[in-house]
Amino acid sequence: MTARIGIVGIGHTRFGNSSEYDLADVMAYAATDALIDAGILEQRREVDQVFVANMASGLFCHQSSVASSMVSKLDMEPVPAELIENGPASGASAVKIAYMAIASGMVDVALVVGGEIMRKISGWEATDVVATMLHPEAEYAMGLTLPSFGGMFARLYMDKYGCTERDLALVAVKDHDNGALNQYAHVQGTCTIEAIADGETAGVVNNYIAEPLRIYSTCPVTDGAAALVLVNMDSPKAKLFKKKPVRIAGVGSATDTHCVHNRKDPLRLDAVRIAGEKAYRMAGLTPGDISFAELHDAFTILELAISEEIGLFERGKSYLAVRKGETTIKGRLPINPSGGLKSKGHPVGATGVSQVVELVRQLRGEAEEGRQVRDPKYGMSVNFGGFGNNVVAIICAKD
Amino acid sequence: MIDFSMYDVKTPEILGYKCQTCGAIHYPAPMICGKCSTRRDPVTGRKWETFPLEGPATLLTWTRVWNLPEGYNVKYLLFGIVEFENGLRASGRLGVDDPKTGMKLTSRVEESDERPGKPVNVFIFS
Repeated sequence: MTARIGIVGIGHTRFGNSSEYDLADVMAYAATDALIDAGILEQRREVDQVFVANMASGLFCHQSSVASSMVSKLDMEPVPAELIENGPASGASAVKIAYMAIASGMVDVALVVGGEIMRKISGWEATDVVATMLHPEAEYAMGLTLPSFGGMFARLYMDKYGCTERDLALVAVKDHDNGALNQYAHVQGTCTIEAIADGETAGVVNNYIAEPLRIYSTCPVTDGAAALVLVNMDSPKAKLFKKKPVRIAGVGSATDTHCVHNRKDPLRLDAVRIAGEKAYRMAGLTPGDISFAELHDAFTILELAISEEIGLFERGKSYLAVRKGETTIKGRLPINPSGGLKSKGHPVGATGVSQVVELVRQLRGEAEEGRQVRDPKYGMSVNFGGFGNNVVAIICAKD
Repeated sequence: MIDFSMYDVKTPEILGYKCQTCGAIHYPAPMICGKCSTRRDPVTGRKWETFPLEGPATLLTWTRVWNLPEGYNVKYLLFGIVEFENGLRASGRLGVDDPKTGMKLTSRVEESDERPGKPVNVFIFS
């Protein structure tokens, strides 16, 4: 029988600029919130295992062994703790590995914490650090960065399907509408289509970053942390928790070529598609069952492409759904009700955990007024590592 | 006449890799041939040939990047993905200022020292 594993505690810092703080402190803050939410702050040593997700604290903060540091700040010794790194998909990988640890029977209760402080260094340096996940000789050495690949991907998509820069701006407007209502979002402000696409000064306000992507097509550089408490719902320790668990119904992950140029069709994100298919199969669901989704829109074009790869829209048609408002909170299929990476921000090691926190908030009915999805049953997240070379999809259910 | 000033000066090149067992070509270097699973020994190169990856190529997609990482003291750089006539693809810089998807380009390799550390070889497609 498949293990029934649920989420019983969530924590989240306000994303933004936390560069004055120690990474382990920021992570421990989110972890403390999750322990309080789970009602086990005093009994925190009942946690059998801590999994910490972080992409590059050594490069961003000149700091290593953050799992040990964070556990000590929480006064949780001797609970075991390890670090999990999978680029910008580190967070969802940590959730997946916690799931596997519980399913194996080795662990009944796991604390998963994802965090990153990216703003201790300049934006130029941060762009370079993130680019180190590319192929060292065939990509990074050329001067390529993640926005470079976002731009080249967007051009292919736009040329093939007729999507326009205005369509990308519509995704940003929708994400900012949602993020403006999210207490944890980095950018808590709206933007209008007039300001970033239609108006005379739009080209100045919304200048190019990596053509055809503009500044409102890309996520900000963000600090922050998020945390979850997971439990085997059939173990004796499940009685420790008062809140009804949100069940993890499906988890899937997959890899793709490290070099983007080696993909047979550079417009296909095979790892996203396969991760999604695995998650659906495990959950016994189809794309039509999904009530809302948190998708990795580090670039707005990725929100469109990922939504198609996981079957929420026909290939090349998602931007038409955005035009019709189908992906807004009140639309047929809300996407990124949190504001997504575009508005909520993208602390690379935290993002995958943050996405699952949002799934739980929505499924519990605890999202802020104005951005609560109506009566959701299943939420899905996709956390995208590299330029799609290591992807994790998670489906959560309100039983 | 020998030009001693050219002693030890090497023309920068980027290599493609050919598996001698099945003839499949690769870039960048794999550890195992994707077609026949022959192992490549990166020290001896036994059972593998290398060849300079160069010549005419077709531009598949491109971007002009304005937010370059630290070390690049230019306003912007153009990048693209190309396909060589032998079917191999590569990412690199563009040496044309008005690129069009599908245009024919020719590759050359230059040494780049923008970033800290040893200089690296980069493709310029123009």
